Formats: sequence, structure tokens, C-alpha cells
Amino acid sequence: MNSRLFWKVVSLEARTKMSYRVEFWISAVAAFAADFGVVWFVWMAMFRESGAETIGGWTRDGIIIYYLTVVLVGKLVRYREFTGAISHDIYEGGLNRYLVFPVGYMPYKLAQRIGLQAPRIVQFALLGVIALLLVDIPAETAPTITTIVMAAATIAMAFLLSFMLDYCIHQVAFWADNVWSLDVAKWFVTSLLGGFMLPLSVFPGWAQDIMAWLPFRLLFDLPARVLLHRADAAEWALGLAAGVFWCAALWAAGRVLWRRGSLEYTGVGI
Amino acid sequence: MIEVDHLSKTFWVHKKKPGLMGSVRSLFKREKVEKRAVRDVSFRIDEGEIVGLVGANGAGKTTLVKMLAGIIHPSSGAARVLGHTPWERHNDYRRRIALIMGQKAQLWWDLPAADCFLLLKEIYRIPTDEYRRRLAYLSEVLSIGDELNVQIRRLSLGERMKMELIAVLLHGPRVVFLDEPTIGLDLTAQRAIRDFILTYREAHRPAMLLTSHYMEDIQRLCKRILIIREGEIVYDGELARVVERYAPNKVLKVHLRRTGQKVQPTNELRALGEIVECSEDTLCLRVARDRVAEVSARLLTTYDVADLAIEEMDIGTIIERIFRERGEVQA
Repeated sequence: MNSRLFWKVVSLEARTKMSYRVEFWISAVAAFAADFGVVWFVWMAMFRESGAETIGGWTRDGIIIYYLTVVLVGKLVRYREFTGAISHDIYEGGLNRYLVFPVGYMPYKLAQRIGLQAPRIVQFALLGVIALLLVDIPAETAPTITTIVMAAATIAMAFLLSFMLDYCIHQVAFWADNVWSLDVAKWFVTSLLGGFMLPLSVFPGWAQDIMAWLPFRLLFDLPARVLLHRADAAEWALGLAAGVFWCAALWAAGRVLWRRGSLEYTGVGI
Repeated sequence: MIEVDHLSKTFWVHKKKPGLMGSVRSLFKREKVEKRAVRDVSFRIDEGEIVGLVGANGAGKTTLVKMLAGIIHPSSGAARVLGHTPWERHNDYRRRIALIMGQKAQLWWDLPAADCFLLLKEIYRIPTDEYRRRLAYLSEVLSIGDELNVQIRRLSLGERMKMELIAVLLHGPRVVFLDEPTIGLDLTAQRAIRDFILTYREAHRPAMLLTSHYMEDIQRLCKRILIIREGEIVYDGELARVVERYAPNKVLKVHLRRTGQKVQPTNELRALGEIVECSEDTLCLRVARDRVAEVSARLLTTYDVADLAIEEMDIGTIIERIFRERGEVQA
């Protein structure tokens, strides 16, 4: 797929997404309020009931900032809607047209995902600025040019990793038709083990050791900690390298699944 | 251009017993049944030909088209289209074919057609001058104007199908698969699509394989048809010869001047053909195709004939009967 086509797809998808502006803003506010509101109430209750100053190395204000960051990062990293989902294409037969086009399906879907996700940069920036104004952020965790650049690279890697995970999991639809429940399971696992539900530091040591070998922490935990000055340059570089490794591994797995799965594909109807 | 050699496709489909218990049982154990959608099909189509692929629902038409378009893999057999094996999906191949599926919109629902076409320009790497020339030509022939700037989902079904046709023909394909291109359209839109396909064929001479449930499409567009029944090609030949092959008889309908006497079904009359109706003023005989002239002459000289009509079975009816029956069809 040439870069001209790639960016054309990105641009078209982004424009389509932004053409539904009511939905765009409602989803921005509602998703943010839901994601952030739930954890805010839960953590406030935990601090109040336990009477502890810190939990898992986080103070009450620290955890609020962590969640603000993680929710904002999540907006850029993962995509919850079904529009353009690979499993949907397989199940509904929308894949037919992509098989007839002289382009690779995976790069096309990647471009499509970037296009669908790109407008969220506006949501991210706007909600981020509002958060900066409303929340008292300590000077030592305030974003700097360096952390913003480092976080941008980490978020880009996390976005690609999230896409590759979806690319592999959704291809199960070649055999199972409907993978909605698998998608929900992935959502839960990535949220729990990726640091979206809880900071990974609150897990027991042995669990953290296991999670260090899994790709999920690279999705939310690493980008958030980079933005909050909690990851040094070495950890950042190592995390990026691990992300690239996992993307390559999932890409290879995705190719195998595609080769096998497309033999099973019926294109809906006989 | 299209060569198909003993192509077959078998699907395994899950069978589930009806009712709640059937659903519960299927959670633990599911029975698989073999569905042979296409069986040992062979044919070829040359440049400039429009070949109609006709068959009942589930006969295997769409499966065959999907294999030739490279969407699904066959279970056995071979096919060469433009020198390529379709399901290998080489980009060189995909740049030279087009598929239109009347039942499944291919264009992007939320985009205006003009944006869809620009995207297709990039997908097929169509040079800008060529793109402009083709779009102008196709828009003119299909009478498309301001609709280009309207979102696809806001267009009428007929307008949408016209856009689908433009979309699949922009890159100048040499082979076009048309799977029910007029389905759901009103008569005027159907006619417009048919006229366009003929015009396009004359101007560009691609090979076209057309499936349709409308006999009007087949009769107007195809000189040659393939009849597919339960996955097998049961007829491959000229449309006009279907009648000769599957309807060897014609019906002679004679209106007699009233004499007050009923015509008797005599042995002499039976020798001319099978008596379908015999009343005071009407005589209907089913007669072998090659005896029609002789029998007509005999009837004209024997009876006081007011009017004589020779009826051919409607081709659509013949084909419908071929879908259902295994034996020869009698007129």
C-alpha cells in the first residue's frame, strides 16, 4: 500500500468521523465521565475507608492524576466502537470488497483505524487542558517538552500494539463467526493488566513480575508513567523496544491467521 | 479470458435442531453437514462476451462468482482469469477485474460518491487525466450529475447502483462480475442499468459474467447463458437454443368459426399432436417443433379456421422449470 493511499484513507476516515459532530462530542464527554467517574468514586472510597495516606505507592491526589492521564491516553490508544472492526467485516461480508481491491487488508485497516482515532487528538488536547486547569498538578509531574515527546512515541507504539492485538483477535471470526465476547474479554484483560483499571504497582510483586513479560502494560501504564515522570529514559527505551517486538510478533501471528482464516472465509451466503 | 476447469466448492455448515432444546444441545455438540455449493463446473468466456449465469436461489451462482473474483478458495479444480489464478489475489489481477454485488453495497456509506471515487483512484492508481476522462464518460452515460456530491446513504437505490457501476468501472477492468446488479430496482432503473451495460460492452469489450433473477436482464444482455442447478452447470449455450433444447414442442391454438358442432378428438387429429383442448370453437394441439408447418396446413384445410396462433413457451418459464426439474421440459 503506497503512502499516498494510506494517508488518503486516514484523511477520509477522519473526516467521516468528524462529520457526526454531536456523536463526536457526546462520546468524548460521556466516555471520559464514565471512565474517570467510576475510578474516582472507587478510589475516594478506598482512601476514606482505609484511612491510608498511600496505596501501592500512590497518594490520593497522585492516583487522580494517574487516572486522568490513563483515561486520556486510552482515548488515543484503543478503539471501542464496532465501526470498521475486522471481525465485523468477516461476519457481515464487508471483507469482500477489500479482497477485490489491489491493496493489503491489514495496512488498509491500520490506515482506517488511524483515521478514526485521529480526531480524538482534539478530545485528548481539550480534555487535557481542562484537566490541567482544574487539577492541582505538582510541579514534578507537570508535562515538559521532553516527557511529551517521549510520551508521543510511547502512545504511537501503544496504538500500534492495540491495533495488532485487535487484528489477531478479530480474525478468530473466520472460525467462530462472532467474536464479541472475545472482544469483551480482551477489553477486560488489557484494562486490568495494562494499568487502565488499577496502577500496576498495587499488584503483588509476583504478579508484577509476570506482567512485565506481557505486552499489556505497554498500552496504558507505560505511556501514563512516562507522562508523569515515573519512567526514566532507560525504562522508556526498553518499553519501546518491547512494544516493537510485540508488534512484530503479533504481525507474524496475524499473517498466519490471515492465511489460514481466508481459506475458511465464505463471504456470507452460498 | 475466463477459463474454469472442474471447479468445485464444498462448505461445511452447522446444523441446529429447532427449539430451545436444540439451542441448548448445540452449545455442547453441533452437527456439521456438507453443502456442495459448486460441483465440477467447467466453461470459458471470451473477450466482449456477456454470459448469463442463471439458477434458483442457492444454486451456487454467487459462490462461483466469489471464487472467480478471488474472494473464496475452491475445494478443488482450477480457474484462470486473465492468466491468473483468482484466489491467489495478485494485485495485477485485482487491478484488472471488477465485482459488483447488487445485494451488498461496496461503496462507503457515509461518504459522497465523489470522495469514494477519489479513494478508488488511489486504490487502483488511476492517472488523474484518465480518471477524469472515465468519470466524465461514465457519469454522462449513466446520467449522473449533482448526485456525485451526495452521501451514498442518502441516494435512492437506483442512483446508488449507478454509483456502484461507476466505482467498479473507473479502473477500466477487463473482466467484470455482475452479481444481480438490478436487484430491487424499479423498471425504469433496471432498463437504465441494462442499457448502460450494453453501451459499456460495445465501447470497451470486457468479458462479463452476469447473474440475475430477472429474465429481462438475461434476455436483453446475454446471447449465451449457463444454467446452474444444485451446483452443476446443466446448460451452457446460446439463450435462443434453450427453447429448442428444453421445449421441443409448440402449441397450436385454433379458433374455429361457430358451426354449432363440437370438434371430435379423432384418431386422425391425435396423429397430428397431443390434444390439449378440444371444444366447440377452440382446438389446442401440442405439436413437435419440426411438424408445426405441416400440421398448421392440415388444420387450415380440414377445419373452418377463423384464427390460428402458434405459441412458444416463454423462455423464463422454461428456465424456471429447468431449475426445478431434472428431466427434459415439455412445452
